[in-house]
Amino acid sequence: MEKKLKSWQGWLLFGGTMVVVFGLGMLASSVTERRAEVASVMNNKKVEITGIEARNDKFEPNYPREYQTWTATADTSFKSLYNGNQMVDVLEARPEMVVLWAGYAFSKDYSTPRGHMHAIDDIRHSLRTGAPMTAEDGPQPATCWTCKSPDVPRMMQAMGVENFYKGKWGGMGSEIVNPIGCADCHEPENMNLHISRPALVEAFQRQGKDINQATQQEMRSLVCAQCHVEYYFKGDGKYLTFPWDKGYTVEDMEAYYDEVGFSDFTHKLSRAPILKAQHPDYEISQMGIHAQRGVSCADCHMPYKSEGGVKYSDHHIQSPLAMIDRTCQVCHRESEETLRQNVYDRQNKAREMRDRLENELAKAHVEAAFAWEKGANEEQMKDVLKLIRQAQWRWDFGVASHGGAFHAPQEIQRILGNGLDKAMQARLVTSKVLAKLGYTDNVPMPDISTKEKAQKYIGLDMASDRAAKQKFLDTVLPEWVKEAQQNNRQAKDI
Amino acid sequence: MGGMKIKEIFQRLFPSRTRKLVAIVLVGVVCGLGSYTLYASRVWSYVSDDPATCVNCHIMAPYYATWSHSSHSRNATCNDCHVPHENAAKKWFFKGMDGMRHAAIFSMRGERQVIQALDESDEVIMNNCIRCHTQLNTEFVKTGRIDHEGVIAGEGKACWDCHRDIPHGGTNSLSSTPNALVPYPKSTTPGWLKEMLSK
Repeated sequence: MEKKLKSWQGWLLFGGTMVVVFGLGMLASSVTERRAEVASVMNNKKVEITGIEARNDKFEPNYPREYQTWTATADTSFKSLYNGNQMVDVLEARPEMVVLWAGYAFSKDYSTPRGHMHAIDDIRHSLRTGAPMTAEDGPQPATCWTCKSPDVPRMMQAMGVENFYKGKWGGMGSEIVNPIGCADCHEPENMNLHISRPALVEAFQRQGKDINQATQQEMRSLVCAQCHVEYYFKGDGKYLTFPWDKGYTVEDMEAYYDEVGFSDFTHKLSRAPILKAQHPDYEISQMGIHAQRGVSCADCHMPYKSEGGVKYSDHHIQSPLAMIDRTCQVCHRESEETLRQNVYDRQNKAREMRDRLENELAKAHVEAAFAWEKGANEEQMKDVLKLIRQAQWRWDFGVASHGGAFHAPQEIQRILGNGLDKAMQARLVTSKVLAKLGYTDNVPMPDISTKEKAQKYIGLDMASDRAAKQKFLDTVLPEWVKEAQQNNRQAKDI
Repeated sequence: MGGMKIKEIFQRLFPSRTRKLVAIVLVGVVCGLGSYTLYASRVWSYVSDDPATCVNCHIMAPYYATWSHSSHSRNATCNDCHVPHENAAKKWFFKGMDGMRHAAIFSMRGERQVIQALDESDEVIMNNCIRCHTQLNTEFVKTGRIDHEGVIAGEGKACWDCHRDIPHGGTNSLSSTPNALVPYPKSTTPGWLKEMLSK
């Protein structure tokens, strides 16, 4: 017998289901609403920024704390034992470096770096960028701008990456006007960290790695690795390239350069094909214990800061020694004095090796030049030139990474130690060549006790370089600035 | 027979084919909506130890951000400190209860501006301090000899009575880390659907 459902039972079932679905619907909508608040965390902005915004001041209303601490990178009051955020003339303090870079623009002008806020000013004023009077004029390619400004990704998007690199430095002066800032590391929509420069992405691709898979903590170093790395300008198109295909060590990159037959310049005295190391900060720091324990660049150079109950990353990027209480002491229990001394001890030891190497290497160049003068031939000098190239690559790699002595002290000592060995070998082989040519005395050494004397010795006419630069600064630069302001490209003055 | 009984009840409730169809559809609606709720609340993520799970509820962002900037983030996840580790039963019972409590408060908008640990939670956290720092507590200093009940009874101090900044950098409110970059859950709308809708 089939039992029929009574009418009230049907209504009860209907009503009950309705109540359950209604309740579930409310719960689902509550969950969705609370999930939607995530969007409002980031949408709660005073101004909407889209696309590549190079004018750093546009970010101030949304992120006042981050912005204001970023402006503090203009500060030049900090000084540690060997560096700080001031511009100090390195060639003045170490005239041997003039000899090491004979035939390259670095022998004209090389100072310790200031904070990110000065990036545009400092590259405009450097004697290395010369005095381009027209857009097609001057010694440097536009590639030199690559790390200086968030205007660079904007221009790369507008004109294509290859075309950007192909131009002259002087051709981009009215477009690239805002110093390293927000858009270099952040997506404007949600401020997530991003890679704005193609060279790092391309280097990862050639290694078979996908940079999009990087963790947040890795990104806190990789955004720095867009610029604080070893790189070179590849081919006639001056395409910015990282020599990482074989690995990150000084030998790996040397093997890469040897294979493609690259050198930055031929040394004016020794005629050695020299590699100029840029600043392999990222590569060297990855070989140190801090990075190996998962500490990122930002952990020490942009420590967490507490202000009126609000905590945020300090965007005053600087030496961690300027704020030991917020950097080292977050993990280490020792006193400030002890921790500072620990860093200085490492720096002093590296410096000892550097001084020795720098000295021997300068002599190696002078002696090689002397051997050429005495009539040595290419075959006789082949080994000498190779050894000098190797020695100088190691010297520069160890020295150009300013924090290397602390980031990876053992690696720096190894590099400088091997460099010293190569320099001594170069001198030894040169003296054999000289002996064959019938010269057995000491090679006379020039007086290079000051920057001026050293520059004169390598044949630089600094007076005319300086005059040309001054003319550029007085005539061309104001035009650049005026044009940028007219086109509304430049952030307000701070 | 139990089985028979259920079948009989089912027959009595839904004698006709139409009624069966209607009932199945209604049950489908309830299950579907229920599944969506589970999906939107990312319920599967709760069985993991991934700290990103804790910012499923965005109000945990200050606690995630301060943890990720601390030295504890190198080696310890949220669960390492905030759920018991004596045995699996204790771990999952506590995690389940605590999680349900959090879910209920969050869904009902019952959170306070400053989130603080309950006594039960304090007990778990302190036991975990002692668990990981056993060597420190036994070989070097004579701490960690009482548990949190002892602290309440006035027999001594809790770890964080001295180590006040560990690991969240002191007290935090819901507004203490504006703009912090934390792994918030992605939108419930899948990418392909967004693309279709935006066309």
